Amino acid sequence: MKQIIKLTVNDQEYELAVEPNLTLLDLLRYDLGLTGTKKGCDEGDCGACTVIMDGRAVSSCLILAVQANGRKILTIEGVETEGGLHPIQQAFVENGAIQCGFCTPGMILSAKALLDRNPHPDEQEIRTAISGNLCRCTGYQKIVEAIEEVSEKGS
Amino acid sequence: MLLPKFDYHEPATLAEACEVMAELGKRARPLAGGTDLIVNMKKKILAPEHVVSLGRLEELKGIDSYDGTIRIGALMSVAEIAESTEVKGSYAALAHGASVLGSPLIRNLATVAGNLVSARPAADLPPSLMAYGAGVVLRKKDGERFVALEDLIQGPGKTAMEPEELLTHVVLETPPSGCGAAYIKLGTRKALEISLVSVASYVSLDESGGSIASARIVMGAVGPTPLRATSAEKLLMGENPSEQIFERAGEAAALESRPIDDFRGSAEYRRAMVKVLTERTLRAAYGLARDQ
Repeated sequence: MKQIIKLTVNDQEYELAVEPNLTLLDLLRYDLGLTGTKKGCDEGDCGACTVIMDGRAVSSCLILAVQANGRKILTIEGVETEGGLHPIQQAFVENGAIQCGFCTPGMILSAKALLDRNPHPDEQEIRTAISGNLCRCTGYQKIVEAIEEVSEKGS
Repeated sequence: MLLPKFDYHEPATLAEACEVMAELGKRARPLAGGTDLIVNMKKKILAPEHVVSLGRLEELKGIDSYDGTIRIGALMSVAEIAESTEVKGSYAALAHGASVLGSPLIRNLATVAGNLVSARPAADLPPSLMAYGAGVVLRKKDGERFVALEDLIQGPGKTAMEPEELLTHVVLETPPSGCGAAYIKLGTRKALEISLVSVASYVSLDESGGSIASARIVMGAVGPTPLRATSAEKLLMGENPSEQIFERAGEAAALESRPIDDFRGSAEYRRAMVKVLTERTLRAAYGLARDQ
């Protein structure tokens, strides 16, 4: 039986009727059309589906849409600002931290969750923060450098 | 992957949750962090008719002090445990175990109770919690009972819980002065790793701070449940801490471990590492106990 949920995605409020066995990931991709959140392993191992829920980076494939009732979700589509790319996105572009791009939304959201709590992390903290996000192009070094650059530029 | 269909329940209070569990029993599964349950349902290992989300139960969140003990709410996330100043201050081995579990994405969802009731032999929280002598509160409609963590975990995926019971709190005694504990997880990578071997050791010193009053050593991933190395513990009792005695305890613990060969590592290697990790955790635990 469908349940009515209310949630905020990228500062927009939604009221939706969802089946209990729908994941937050599938809700975002197929019901809301927010396909920037990627589906990789779909079992919590790869981090491609990372979103920020109430300030914490989480795997959206492990969360039921009904559990997101009343929660605030940020996806990659909500990261860009009116002024253009978010500084983290810009740093990824400038540092060559994007290759195939599949891990990029998750990487950026894990980085954002880190920088929102800890604006000046050291390298180890950065590596830990993205340790649940797999990049199979294995471009980790440039990703770490991009996040370091944001940390250094930020006040 | 599609999730099987189920009815979803979201009780607002613990009393209501116990009512629902009493009514549904085996047909229902409680849902906390979901990092095990949702995966097992996707893989069709589990297909409960009913899923009872505990997410709204405010009674099961946070830490409180209670009659010389602290009680950790079942729904406290692994990330919250790792970050808690209270846990880091008094239960450093637990905070460390929490900080190396899975990945940040998992730690932000996974709960302390989930890591215990899933009863995986390589789980990261049971060894240190057992070393601290933790117990858990199990609640059902008719009442609640207290069970030592050692008695809760009975085998891979097997616990002493009845189907309608919910784990509500993890209970730890306030540590006495002159004690310390350490946890080391050994794996082949730094994140999203299932331990090859893990060891937690707890040491308390007698009042003069000279000899070892008591010790508890718990070995993970080398048996069907986390195992106490009781002969190693006995050997340490009343002794003055020294490299020699820690080495002998490591050897005794290795003999007591019951590792298996699998694709992660050989039994022989695991046994050898039990010795090393036992020595290292004892040394670290003693260091903390002495400096306290």
